[in-house]
Amino acid sequence: MEQQVTVAIIEDHPVVTEGVASWIRSDPGQRVRLVQTARDLTGLRSAPRPSADVVILDLELLGELVTTQIPELVAAGYRVVAFSGHSDPVIVMETLDHGAHAYVSKDEGRDHLVEAVLAAAADRPYVTRSQARAILADRRPARPELSQQERQALLLWFQGMSKASVGRRMSISENTVRQYISRVRAKYAASGRTAPSKDALLARAIEDGVIKPGEIMPYKSFAQAAADYPSEGAPGR
Amino acid sequence: MTAVPPTTIMSGRYQRAFTIAVVVLVAGWHLAGAGGQLLDYRPAYGSFAFQGAMWLVMALGIAAGSLLVLRGAPGWRPAWAVAVIALAASTAAAAASPAAQMLAVNWAWGSAGWMGVLVLLHRRFAELAWFLAAEALATLGVQVWDGLDRTNLAGFLALLAWSTGAQVAVAAGVRALDLAAGQAAAAAASEHAARERAATAEIIRAARHARWLALQEGAVPLVAELAVGTADPGDAQVRIRCAVQAARLRRLLAEGDEVPGSLVHELHASADVAERRGVAVEIETAGALPQVPGPARRVITDAAIAILTAARSQTRITLAAVAAGIAVSFVADTGAVVPLPAVGEGVAIEQQEDDGMLWAEARWNSR
Repeated sequence: MEQQVTVAIIEDHPVVTEGVASWIRSDPGQRVRLVQTARDLTGLRSAPRPSADVVILDLELLGELVTTQIPELVAAGYRVVAFSGHSDPVIVMETLDHGAHAYVSKDEGRDHLVEAVLAAAADRPYVTRSQARAILADRRPARPELSQQERQALLLWFQGMSKASVGRRMSISENTVRQYISRVRAKYAASGRTAPSKDALLARAIEDGVIKPGEIMPYKSFAQAAADYPSEGAPGR
Repeated sequence: MTAVPPTTIMSGRYQRAFTIAVVVLVAGWHLAGAGGQLLDYRPAYGSFAFQGAMWLVMALGIAAGSLLVLRGAPGWRPAWAVAVIALAASTAAAAASPAAQMLAVNWAWGSAGWMGVLVLLHRRFAELAWFLAAEALATLGVQVWDGLDRTNLAGFLALLAWSTGAQVAVAAGVRALDLAAGQAAAAAASEHAARERAATAEIIRAARHARWLALQEGAVPLVAELAVGTADPGDAQVRIRCAVQAARLRRLLAEGDEVPGSLVHELHASADVAERRGVAVEIETAGALPQVPGPARRVITDAAIAILTAARSQTRITLAAVAAGIAVSFVADTGAVVPLPAVGEGVAIEQQEDDGMLWAEARWNSR
């Protein structure tokens, strides 16, 4: 049996912390072990080395949005899974751009939080429906380019189909559906600001064969895009 | 937003009125004032034809300048081109006048000054001042060339005070009126904005009130029953009621203040009916949704009602902006496909039944 993944919950509402802890306890495989809970980030900041593999971070602590604190946590060696009631696509995108491994909305928690934590611990992509929604809504000029198939898989996933159904709808295997969706996430890890967590996600995606280094486009401005940028080369940054 | 702020419209309207007034004033002066003087002193000029030609040049300059200012604030090049024509023509006319009577028969100074006012009115005040000074200096220069004595120096100063004074006064007056119009328009705009804010606040308040009422009839009694123990969380029926109320609460929180008449709003209304029957409904949107025309909306909401009616316990409705349109999808536990039209009013509907779950998508394209 693999070693348990250790997790810390940073959440200012004790009832939510209790709920998350119960989801972790009720995981049949007992794959995750809760090692720390806190109502703010001071404890994590003062620790000399990461006290947990993954931090489940409520994005709003004591009335303040803490998305901008994510880079500091990531730099300290934590993998961050954001868990929030804010499902505004702009906040979701910002959370991922700052280096969080995944975003799980509070509505999705029961079905997705433990899985997202496990995926994050392995530096593997985990795309919730709320994350898919934010990516579909992304209209920033610097957004990564998605293929038709990737976009379709993401749309059907957002719409609420299971990945197996998405596969049947698109006449591809469930595994290919996962591949498409993971590739979208990897493309986002390759874009925007740099973060060690994004590099780790990307390296793992390349290792797993989700994406080839050549498929990772560096950021293209409108002017450069017109100038036919070569697509081969290093993973962006 | 494509709407022009009311401030701009109003002060623009006033500004145009002032511009038209100045055009009429300048044209009237050149026609009646300068033209009358020119005809009056007709025998005094060495060459009446030359004076007439200069008058015509300036008349054309006034026509061009009027067109420029009526089409909007002219740039410095066209404005100064007209001003320089005025300066040159008036100086030439003065120089060609008989030396002894130059100031007495000079019709051009006044017209040239008014032309300057016309084209430089909405530019910096210093530009007009420079122009009027140059015009006065040119006329004085001609007089010095002809010979300057105390009598005609006094005449020059009197004319300067009379014509330039009037021109400066008009320019300053229009500026003051412009300023006042801007203030009046700003005041009107802020009143308009305040009214709009009040109306928006009222709509939001009404929407909040409606949400609060919805909670009163659904979630509040359920929580009360759970608290006193008359509802047992172990009972499947109670769990379904909880799921429905939870979905409803989530929806109410996420709802924001939708614009009435939008597709989302109509789908919410359909969802309300299904919820009363015990179906938990989620509605989510992705991206900036386009406005869907009424008939197409009707096809989509009819599909929604058919699916919600067939759903046993849950339905997820999503609205996503897709290239050139919108994809409205439904994932529901209907157990079978639902009889729906395949196309209608520009909406194409597809369905797939898989493991007891129905997926249906209605796509509307703007093209």
